[in-house]
Amino acid sequence: MNNKVAIVGRTLEIEPQGLDKMWSFKGKLVVPLEHVRGASEDPGILDDAKGLRSPGLHVPGKWAGTYIEHGEKTFWNVTRPESPIVIQLKDERYDRLVLGVEHPRELVDRINAAIIEK
Amino acid sequence: MSRRRSFDDDEVLADAREIFLEHGYEGTSIDALVKATGLLRGSLYGAFGSKRGMFVAALRDATYSESHDSGVLNLVLVALMELSDHDLEVRGLVRDYLAKLSCSGSGDTNAVTVDVAKLLGETLLQRAHIRLQSDDERSKS
Repeated sequence: MNNKVAIVGRTLEIEPQGLDKMWSFKGKLVVPLEHVRGASEDPGILDDAKGLRSPGLHVPGKWAGTYIEHGEKTFWNVTRPESPIVIQLKDERYDRLVLGVEHPRELVDRINAAIIEK
Repeated sequence: MSRRRSFDDDEVLADAREIFLEHGYEGTSIDALVKATGLLRGSLYGAFGSKRGMFVAALRDATYSESHDSGVLNLVLVALMELSDHDLEVRGLVRDYLAKLSCSGSGDTNAVTVDVAKLLGETLLQRAHIRLQSDDERSKS
């Protein structure tokens, strides 16, 4: 289930798709570009430790909701075989977003180009 | 667990540089960087923000000095080939470094000399294991 990610003015807008109400996530996430530290393609993150999920339910090959590890809060919404991108944030509710998107490489390049523009 | 959460910047950037030299920028995965640096994935993202952030940090570190050892020049080649056409920050770092190498002999501070262009060309051929024949050798043969 692809997430919609767009650069609107000086903000990054993320609309998670396919989340039920039970994932306790409402509407979209709007982050000022100044709070975006970078974006990367990272398929390997699906096989790395993710921490504890709260709340959510387990479906194999699907990660959705908030995970906490080493005091860091990460929002996940990715379903295999999607190849996720990782967006690192600062001064936000989430430290990191892990999202399945339609064109990962183009999006990563666009986000990184937008944040170095002064 | 040998994976590090706190770390020595120089050591991490040196490890990252090796991986970027070996695989190029696009060919380097976060997995490879995690493995080479021994950092936890979260620490890597926390410190550098992204793969690009890590590359820029390694490039900045390498080009800070006026060293032109082959490791630095090869990293500059990776930056030139894969990033500097669309990444303005990387282009600026590379241009400043090459201009710095150029002006060690002359007065112009913002131009890249033919000598430095030649040095890059030679480094590229060495990287490809293609032998360069000098003019002397050529005239003898």
